Amino acid sequence: MTTFTTVTVVADGTVHAVGGAVRDDAVWLRSESVPTVTGWSLKPEGLCRDDVCIPRAALGADAIAGTGADETIELRALARALQRAVAVEPVAALAVVADAPADLAGSIVEGRAPAFTLPDLDGTPVALADFAGRKKLLFAWSSW
Amino acid sequence: MLLAISLDEDVEAARACAREESPVPLTYPVLVDRDHAWAERYGVINVPTTIWVDEDDRIVRPPAIAPGDDKFIEFVGFSAEPHHQALRAWVRDGVAPMADTEVRARRAAPDARLQEARAERRLAMHLLRAGAADLGHAHLDRALALAPDDWTIQRGSLPVRGKDPFGQDFFDFYQRWEAAGRPGYEG
Repeated sequence: MTTFTTVTVVADGTVHAVGGAVRDDAVWLRSESVPTVTGWSLKPEGLCRDDVCIPRAALGADAIAGTGADETIELRALARALQRAVAVEPVAALAVVADAPADLAGSIVEGRAPAFTLPDLDGTPVALADFAGRKKLLFAWSSW
Repeated sequence: MLLAISLDEDVEAARACAREESPVPLTYPVLVDRDHAWAERYGVINVPTTIWVDEDDRIVRPPAIAPGDDKFIEFVGFSAEPHHQALRAWVRDGVAPMADTEVRARRAAPDARLQEARAERRLAMHLLRAGAADLGHAHLDRALALAPDDWTIQRGSLPVRGKDPFGQDFFDFYQRWEAAGRPGYEG
């Protein structure tokens, strides 16, 4: 029986605390945690979303360990398969998955402003959608 | 509608700066993007940058450096006035600042190396916030090495590295960036 710990993965602006393990200087996710973090699922035929599957063989020889409820996938291999950059700190069981370039490119081609919600200085959330039907000037600034 | 979005890690620094810039309460929202998740999604790599979004949430002018005045014109290399004029024409008369094709041409997807640098930076900030200084700075160093020309990563990291964003470290970066041909700078 494999022992799992909680690993923290930041993806798409959300902090996910999910079941996984730290082994061999790498962070591993339980297969059941994969959809929460990535929107993809690890199935017998491969890593799948909707009707697209990346075959298991394409994930790399050492990407998957264990079977059934004990199955885990190594996070770097998972991110590589999804063409997403990842930064991993095994000591803290913490990792960050960057946005998928393909998703960014999608919003660029369509020319749409991606939806967002950010806190104001007092922590109150403000969304782009709060100003629907108006012209918006987004102004990025900083104290530095 | 103006939405001012701060890329500061330190929310109090942003608050102090907003107060200093305006003695009267601001009439527009001041938001905080500590994780740079918004900045990355919109392709913002420096400040001050504006992005124009129309009534149908289409981007009519992609991210571009847009100083409020000509105080730093020697560094910036162009005047603020054309941007102001174009902005007035768009707001008052609906004049599009550029053709749709140019909007698209300017918005290239980020390369893999920059995305890796951004992931390392975000990981570093989460570690630093949790008090894991050594681990955090190790990842921040990786981000800095991966994105030598990215202002948001290079200059934006100076405060958390205990360095002055208006001091020698900034000027060293500025000179290196200028010698490299001012990469990524679009007015």
